[in-house]
Amino acid sequence: MLELLAVALSGIVTYIERVVFLASKRVRPPRRALRYLPLVGPAVLGAIAVPGILAPTGVLSLSETLPAVIAAVVAALVQRFTKHLAVALVVGLAVWWGLVFALVQLGLRQG
Amino acid sequence: MTPETRLAAVAGFRDAFMIVLGYIPFGLAAGAAMAQTDVAPAVSILSSPIVYAGAAQLAAVQLLDAGASVALVVFSVLVINARHLLYSASLEPHIADWSRGQRLGAAFFLADPIYALAITRFERAEGAGAKADKIGYYFAAAVTCYLGWSILVATGVALGAFIPEWVPLELAIPLTFLLLLIPLIKDRAGLLAAIVGGFVALLAHPLPFGFGLMIGAVAGIIAGSIVIARTREEPVDA
Repeated sequence: MLELLAVALSGIVTYIERVVFLASKRVRPPRRALRYLPLVGPAVLGAIAVPGILAPTGVLSLSETLPAVIAAVVAALVQRFTKHLAVALVVGLAVWWGLVFALVQLGLRQG
Repeated sequence: MTPETRLAAVAGFRDAFMIVLGYIPFGLAAGAAMAQTDVAPAVSILSSPIVYAGAAQLAAVQLLDAGASVALVVFSVLVINARHLLYSASLEPHIADWSRGQRLGAAFFLADPIYALAITRFERAEGAGAKADKIGYYFAAAVTCYLGWSILVATGVALGAFIPEWVPLELAIPLTFLLLLIPLIKDRAGLLAAIVGGFVALLAHPLPFGFGLMIGAVAGIIAGSIVIARTREEPVDA
C-alpha cells in the first residue's frame, strides 16, 4: 500500500512540474533559473549512466569495467552514425555480451 | 475535423509510433529491471500510466526495493523530473492559445519524447499549422507514446521473471541513459555537469537509498553552473 502511495505521490509531483508554466499565464520561470535548468538533464542522466557503466554489477574492477566501457564507446559511435538509439543499444549490449563471454572463456572473469 | 487536422493527427501518431519502436529495448529492460525487485509487479506496471517518466519510475521502484521512505522516493522523483519544468516553460508560448483544459491535458503527457516531438513540430520551418492541427498532432502523438510506453513496461515486468539469470542485462539501462544523455550535451557546461554528476554519483554509490544519484546530480549542476557563470557573462536583462 505504501508502495502505491509513493508511486501516486510521485505522479502528482511529476504532473506539477509539467503543468506549472502551462496552468496560468501569470506564472513565468525566473530568468536566473532558466539559465541553469538545461544542466539538470545532463547531470541527472550522467549520475545514472556513469556508475552503471563503470561498475555494471556494482564492482569497480578491470574485468567488470573494461568490457562495459568498450561497449559504451561502441554504442555511442553507432548512435552517432545511425541516429538510432535502439540500434546503438542492441549493438552495445551485443559487444558487452561478447566481451564478457570471451573473458569468461579465457578464465579472466567469473561466469 | 478538417482534412488538415486529420493529417496532422496521423503525422503525430506516425512520429510517436517510431519513437515507441525505439523505446522497445529500454521499455522492456526497465520493466525487467523492476521485476527483479521485491516491489509488487502491479505497482511497477502502474508506475507507467501514473508517473510516465522512465528514469523516475526506475529510481522510484529501486528506492522502494531498498527500503526507502515514501518521502525520499517522492523527493527523488521530484529532483529527477526537474527537467520537466524546462519543458513546461519552453512549450508554453506554442500552446498559449489552447483552452485551459487542453493545456492541463497537454501537461499530463509532457514526457521527454513528447516534448521533443512537439517542439520539433511547432518550430519547424514550414510553420506549426492551425491551432486545431497542433492540438491534433500533439494529442495523437501523446496518447500513442503513453500507451506504447505503458504496454512496453508491463511486458517487460511480465517477461522479467522469464529472463534467465545468465543473460546479463545490468548494462542495458545505464547504456540507454548514456545514449539519451549524449544528444542533451550541447555545450561545455552540460558536458561538465554530466561528467561531474557521473563521477560524484559513482563515489557516492555506497550511500544508502539512492542518495548517490541525488548527490551526483546536485554536484553536476553546481559544476555546470560555475562554467555558465564564468563563460557567459551575459548582461542582466534590462
